[in-house]
Amino acid sequence: MRFPTFGPTLYGLALVMVVLGVATPFLPIIVKVQLINFLLFVGLAYALNFMTGLTGYVSFGHAVFMGIGAYALGSGIDRLGFPPLLGVILGAGLGAAFAVGIGLVTLRFRGVYFAITTLVVFLAAKNIVPEISELGGGSGIFMNLGFQPLAEFYTIWTIVVLEIGLTYWVTHGRLGYGLRAIKSDEDAAKTVGVNASRLKLILFGISGMFAGATGAVYAWTLSAVLPDTGFDITYSLRMLAMIIIGGAGTLLGPFLGAVIVYVPYNYFQTVQSLLGLQLAVIGALVLLIALFIPTGIVGTVRRYVPTLRRYVE
Amino acid sequence: MTARLVAQNVRKDFGGVQALRGVSLTVDEGSVVGLIGPNGSGKTTLLNLLAGAEKPTSGTIELNGRRTDGLPINRVVGLGIAKTYQIPRPFLAMTVRENVAVAAMYGAFHRKAGEARDDAGRLLSIVGMDRQAETVAAELTVQQLELARAIATGARILLLDEVFAGLSGDELARSINLVSKIQKELGFGVLVVEHVMRAVLTLSGHVVVIVEGRTIAEGAPQEVVHDPAVIEAYLGTEVARAPT
Repeated sequence: MRFPTFGPTLYGLALVMVVLGVATPFLPIIVKVQLINFLLFVGLAYALNFMTGLTGYVSFGHAVFMGIGAYALGSGIDRLGFPPLLGVILGAGLGAAFAVGIGLVTLRFRGVYFAITTLVVFLAAKNIVPEISELGGGSGIFMNLGFQPLAEFYTIWTIVVLEIGLTYWVTHGRLGYGLRAIKSDEDAAKTVGVNASRLKLILFGISGMFAGATGAVYAWTLSAVLPDTGFDITYSLRMLAMIIIGGAGTLLGPFLGAVIVYVPYNYFQTVQSLLGLQLAVIGALVLLIALFIPTGIVGTVRRYVPTLRRYVE
Repeated sequence: MTARLVAQNVRKDFGGVQALRGVSLTVDEGSVVGLIGPNGSGKTTLLNLLAGAEKPTSGTIELNGRRTDGLPINRVVGLGIAKTYQIPRPFLAMTVRENVAVAAMYGAFHRKAGEARDDAGRLLSIVGMDRQAETVAAELTVQQLELARAIATGARILLLDEVFAGLSGDELARSINLVSKIQKELGFGVLVVEHVMRAVLTLSGHVVVIVEGRTIAEGAPQEVVHDPAVIEAYLGTEVARAPT
């Protein structure tokens, strides 16, 4: 069987998304809520994958873009009377704008130095935002939106569909070659003409945009924006865990990683004796993957099972 | 119009160290210029300045009358000057073909992905690597790949940094022939920075000798080799006997 145009991974992901999109209105409310939470994980994984997966630049600061998205939604609804969807779009726009602005400075650093600056940005935002009274200060913003599971679901569903499509498009064209070159050897990439600074900034912007949009939907599901949950470092770590486990820079990896990270998160919270253990379990898993199969599940399958290479990307 | 790269009175300081103290040279499309000198004389520094990897402290570098010093290296490549690395730096996770295709996509040609892969195939057969096209580059480090990548950028001036280092005997002869053949067929201007005297003397029409950041001699290879200053400073007796 031949897949001349898009390849089995994209078809598979499209099938999953279509099934979810069609079936969700008919599922019990508890399942709907779980699917929304799951897709929030997927949305975050693909968001970070654009930057860390495709360029190799590790960002600990993506929780900042989530927080910016959340505050954009909160302020849009609370101050400007926006409908939630417009708040999500505003979150996406501000996420992209802040990413480009921050990236103009921090992307001058490479490797571990870049990673440290993203952490600094995170700490700064976490401490500055609760001091801004226009953003609700330390108590945050309450939106009183009520419970809108289907609207929330289809918004995050659309975000994930866009992310998957854009990931495919980026990795399969000219841009993808340039990014792989940068990830492999940035100086050598410049030597063959790749404008590394611009490509990194574009990817950071896309990454911030989707993290912002997802953060906005997350705030929507809580009907509130709180400084603690808006700027929570464990979200940055969770994003990293998902793409490391699934396979950074791949099309399927973030989705797989999201499944693997979401299951303990969801399950452990329903079992009294396991409550709070999810971070330990995921941390241990990331350690094992980093030690033994650093390219993640997708990278490892592609490397050691050549027959599957055509089907998994 | 044929391409012409001109460096005038180029100086480069690294902190208190003067790596280049005013060097001038010209590389015309279709000609080969050899750049020689002892270790630490500033050859690689000059090549990096010409390629745009670093900025000169003073002096100018022009391609076809247009200043290129101060431009980032990826822009300089787009204008038509490409360099190779002395120690090959392939993109390890990519195949040999993809390595070359990236250069075709992002160099002066701006080829689309499909066309670039075709270009890469043609270039790899020219440099004799067509059978390794689908090999992952991590499994080999060869100068032919550096060469193919530089050519694929569409540059008219190639800066080759010790491409013959570590070769001897038949291998060396084959590599010299390869570079010579490609240069003649495709008409590049080439600057060869080289320790291997046989390569420089065979390939170059003009040789520039730098010592401690200064030009001490230049001219036709035979004249330069017999220049007493050059022999004293660098070449020694061994090269006086070198085959020509």
